[in-house]
Amino acid sequence: MESKIEVVELNAGFGSTHVLKNISMSIPRNRVTAIIGPSGCGKSTFVRCLNRIHELVPGAWVRGKVLLDGKNIYDSDVDPVDIRRRVGMVFQKPNPFPAMSIFDNIAYGPKIHGMKKGLERIVEDSLRKAALWDEVKHRLKDSPVSLSGGQQQRLCIARALAVEPEVILFDEPCSALDPVATAKIEDLILELRENYTIVIVTHNMQQAARIADYTAFFLMGELIEYGETAQIFENPRDKRTEDYITGRFG
Amino acid sequence: MPRTPLERGMEKIRREVIELGGIAKQAVLLSVEALKERDMEKASRVGELEEKSDLLNLDIDESALKLMALQQPVARDLRFVNAMIKISDNFERIADLALKIAEIAQKYEEKELLKPLIDIPRMAATIAEMIDLDLEAIERHESPDTDKLVEMDDFLDDLYNQIYNELISYMLRDPRRIDDATDLLFVARYLERIGDIAAKTGARVVYMVEGRRVWVK
Repeated sequence: MESKIEVVELNAGFGSTHVLKNISMSIPRNRVTAIIGPSGCGKSTFVRCLNRIHELVPGAWVRGKVLLDGKNIYDSDVDPVDIRRRVGMVFQKPNPFPAMSIFDNIAYGPKIHGMKKGLERIVEDSLRKAALWDEVKHRLKDSPVSLSGGQQQRLCIARALAVEPEVILFDEPCSALDPVATAKIEDLILELRENYTIVIVTHNMQQAARIADYTAFFLMGELIEYGETAQIFENPRDKRTEDYITGRFG
Repeated sequence: MPRTPLERGMEKIRREVIELGGIAKQAVLLSVEALKERDMEKASRVGELEEKSDLLNLDIDESALKLMALQQPVARDLRFVNAMIKISDNFERIADLALKIAEIAQKYEEKELLKPLIDIPRMAATIAEMIDLDLEAIERHESPDTDKLVEMDDFLDDLYNQIYNELISYMLRDPRRIDDATDLLFVARYLERIGDIAAKTGARVVYMVEGRRVWVK
């Protein structure tokens, strides 16, 4: 399996708190990789290190390497803004810009990255890829606040797609959504896999089982087990993984 | 004490599978006794056991499906539920084969068997031991001694081959009794199949407990 991201001995934390401990793993191209683990295990910090937004928090630190197509994103000659464009992120709570129209929510990213031409094309393409176009094409000037939670989340996915990323990180993208909206996002993630590399943090074990090709189990900042999703859920090698996924943890 | 609904559901299924295994074992022993003693009452009791095994198997299947739908077991729990479905089918199949033996026994209400039975009851006793090994392993959630199961299965194969050769020579000597010889040949064949199923059940328990595939044939 060709890897898109190679994480090598990654350590990260905040001040004197050491959150991630020596994580090494390879994230395959055009596949969905799920990160599971109990609260506080470092899942979110981990994905935030993959597009350099962890360092935006005061006191945050990172050691080790994250190779994106072989190039360490923490090298001094790398522009973090460019990394954040190539590695997009969708957060737990849908967070469209409320003061902007649906159209401008999507167009904003391409504009600040200097992609001034063909904005209408970009907006339509992004909304189509996010399976939202048919639902909003007649109300592009409306505020995103009028959309349902599931639609807002798909708008955020469209916004991430608009700047042509290569990797999309999802941090608990369905935890605020009902089962129907969740199913739509899951279908969408499986479709997006064709063209993007996906990493998803989830507390929902069934969600990881449904959509991820690979699953990594984190515990107290360590990577305990990483393998094909079916193997993790049918026959985990490590007792701690087994105890966590069967709900016998702690 | 089981704590969660999943654990309680699994424990119920475990008890039912152990009960079904006991019924299957009893059906095999009884069917061979019915034949050996030409006891029609025992033969009809095998029919009752077989019916009971069908119902219990169905009940286990439904409980397992419900557990999967509502509790979404994973890892060792998933392997357990899957193993119980398969093993329940295995035991039900054993009871089916025992019924076929009992049906042959019913043909001998009025007539003598071709020969006194010696090796066929030995086959039945070996099978009972194999099923006991399986049931003990399920009860304790431990892998059974698969070497021992394979050894007993090989012993059954040897007995079957011996019975086969013996019956062929009977047929050659007295073609008028080919029908009776064929009946006993079928009985031995059914018992040999049951032995295979009992050994495979043990291998299934190993996967359930350890997540390791073993092949017994």
